Amino acid sequence: MTAAIAGIGATEFSKDSGRSELALAAHAGLAAITDAGLRPSDVDGMVTFTMDANAETALARELGVPELTFFGRVPYGGGAACAVVAHAAMAVATGAASTVLCYRAFNERSGRRFGQVHTPDGVDNGWHYPMGLVTPAASVAMFARRYQHEYDVTSEDFGRVAVLDRRAAATNPNAWFHGRPITLADHQASRWIVEPLRLLDCCQETDGAVALVVTTVDRARDLPRHPVVIAAAAQGSAADQFTMHSYYRDDLTGLPELGLVGRALWAGSGIGPEDLSALVLYDHFTPFVLVQLEELGFCARGEARHLLADGTLELDGRLPLNPHGGQLGEAYVHGMNGITEAVRQLRGTAANQIRDAEHVLVTAGTGVPTSGLVLSR
Amino acid sequence: MTGIGEVLPELVIEVTPTFVISTALATRDFQDVHHDPELARERGSAGIFLNILTDTGLVSRFVTDWAGPDALVRRISLRLGVPCHAHETLRLTGRVTGHAVADGEDRWEVSVVGANSLGDHVTATVWVVRR
Amino acid sequence: MIEEAARELAARGESARRVARDPVNLPMIRNWTEAIGDDNPTYEHYAPPAMAQVWTMPGLAGQRPADDPLGAMVAVLDEAGYTSVVATDSEQTYHRYLSPGETVEVSSRLDGVTGPKRTALGEGWFVTTRSTWYVGDEPVAEMMFRVLKFRPSGVAGTAIRPAVSSDTEFFWAGTALGELRIQRCGGCGRLRHPPGPMCPSCRQTRPGYVVAAGEGTVYSYVVHHHPPVPGRAAPFVVALVELTEGVRMLAELVGVPPSEVHIGLEVRVGFSRVDGELTLPVWRRR
Repeated sequence: MTAAIAGIGATEFSKDSGRSELALAAHAGLAAITDAGLRPSDVDGMVTFTMDANAETALARELGVPELTFFGRVPYGGGAACAVVAHAAMAVATGAASTVLCYRAFNERSGRRFGQVHTPDGVDNGWHYPMGLVTPAASVAMFARRYQHEYDVTSEDFGRVAVLDRRAAATNPNAWFHGRPITLADHQASRWIVEPLRLLDCCQETDGAVALVVTTVDRARDLPRHPVVIAAAAQGSAADQFTMHSYYRDDLTGLPELGLVGRALWAGSGIGPEDLSALVLYDHFTPFVLVQLEELGFCARGEARHLLADGTLELDGRLPLNPHGGQLGEAYVHGMNGITEAVRQLRGTAANQIRDAEHVLVTAGTGVPTSGLVLSR
Repeated sequence: MTGIGEVLPELVIEVTPTFVISTALATRDFQDVHHDPELARERGSAGIFLNILTDTGLVSRFVTDWAGPDALVRRISLRLGVPCHAHETLRLTGRVTGHAVADGEDRWEVSVVGANSLGDHVTATVWVVRR
Repeated sequence: MIEEAARELAARGESARRVARDPVNLPMIRNWTEAIGDDNPTYEHYAPPAMAQVWTMPGLAGQRPADDPLGAMVAVLDEAGYTSVVATDSEQTYHRYLSPGETVEVSSRLDGVTGPKRTALGEGWFVTTRSTWYVGDEPVAEMMFRVLKFRPSGVAGTAIRPAVSSDTEFFWAGTALGELRIQRCGGCGRLRHPPGPMCPSCRQTRPGYVVAAGEGTVYSYVVHHHPPVPGRAAPFVVALVELTEGVRMLAELVGVPPSEVHIGLEVRVGFSRVDGELTLPVWRRR
């Protein structure tokens, strides 16, 4: 790849930002541009999520970005996280733009909460919402129940993801749950949201924004920060794909769209699972973290629970997972804070720094058409 | 021989206005929503509807029709769902779902659902002793 | 304020006993068995246990006594704006059957008030009372009775409606008629759910449908607890069912306690009419 992440920025992560979503986007955008050692007038491209409420034009006006020669959006909720970087990388590789600002900003806790009941558009949703399957947690719980059934996986196996995330968040000052680790017993005592998911299987809700700047590797080398190279970026949508409800495939225990992303990442980067220094796996709900480990080839089907139980994925383990605390522990910014964590790890500036981090894998929202990145120092 | 899983014979009740009114009065329930269609509609209902004492009576009848005249009903626990208006057909189905010995008696737990065109009107659990 | 009133009413304990208007008697029993349609011959000798409450109903001219705890609590909640009421559940326990000639008395107490709860009907409080029927000093029957006093909300009972297109309207027309329809390709005959305009096997655009037998087994399921869902009382079960025709379909599973649901449970389709425009399929235990 010929593109790099040159700058990152974020707002504080809170439960009530007290500001508009546009104000959050502007704050994070300016922070990322400044971090890259650039000025707003250097930006000529923007990419965000289809779900983002802030128009590229509005953000450009606030930041004083004069001209945009490239702008685009990526659909499917959190599945867009790594894809916005992929689109930005393609734009700078083709010359459609030289410097692209990727952003995601929302008041997801104090404003529109994804976990509440909404009446969605779209014919596909008509097969699920009217029947009482009305929240993302419920959609994932349906997969999780079948996964438990086929592989003898327990609620405690899911809980170990939450415990791991919260342990890392406890020592990350930027995390909402800084200083507040949990035990497996806490997880087991937390109330049911949608069985088999408990409250502590579900990620938190956050007000906040994250932005990052993508440019060519050559240009990034002239900037003050050590560039983080986009070794590979990929999107994936698999056979008989639905958004959150791919219930009509033969197998309900995998995430084939993520398997597709994984294969593209290994092929595109020449880097394999064994070369990675750390993993940042999308963790809106714990069960899909297990399935991702399996889809990406870190273990066989149904075996991820052992990786979680044997310490491999801990901060001091062989392959640390979510060293920032993930979305369960740090913040839920639709996966974008996972990308900035990978950048910090590769710069050597993370709160829970992995020694000599060289390659970090990042994934985006699961259960939806998704995306992933391999970032390298 | 009674056993867990045994299915009770279905009971179908044509819920005529006469049925709603006669059962309400036989249970000494004189609330207007059980006999006066106009007032029931004024109160936001689609019409007159069955009262809860009748639901209890119907569930009892449904279970003893199966268990026999010597059976003793020890407990009726019921949860209400959609209303059962006049002109509905109420279909009671049930099955034996449990067994316990209490106070020296063999008690069978019967789970009952009374459903109409709107959905489940009453979901009940009955403890009955067969003799 | 509500909690305080509830504590105060609960602390009063049992109300004074109220004596039935009439002793247990055969004419009233026969009115009851005739209306209910219960021809159990034992009721020529004993009162139906389900009549326990009937003996002490206040009747047409009767009034609730001033110390009736449910009446007092309802007044407090009315005042606070929770003006609507719906009975949610009851549990009657019968210690023994009653014979004609016995006179029962009833006494009630407030067991508890919980809330405010967000329910499908609106925000409300659950009021639980317990009544005991006595003959002399012998308790003969007991009842737990719970009502929801609620403030009707704008979304009360508002069902979430499907977006219907010309590709999917056959399905919803079917549910309204009590038919579960599965799309069948007019070209290759492949069955498909959810349906769509072009057959992914043969690319023909001549979809028809078959009426499913309506039987299948649970492939996966969830038990919804939070957040509240309009038109439904949690916990409720939503199940993904593999139909005998080979397609999977999702609907609410009703009439089975969540603890009894399992993968492999055999179910049959039923139909739940929401209103004149929408009928949903539901699963019931086979």
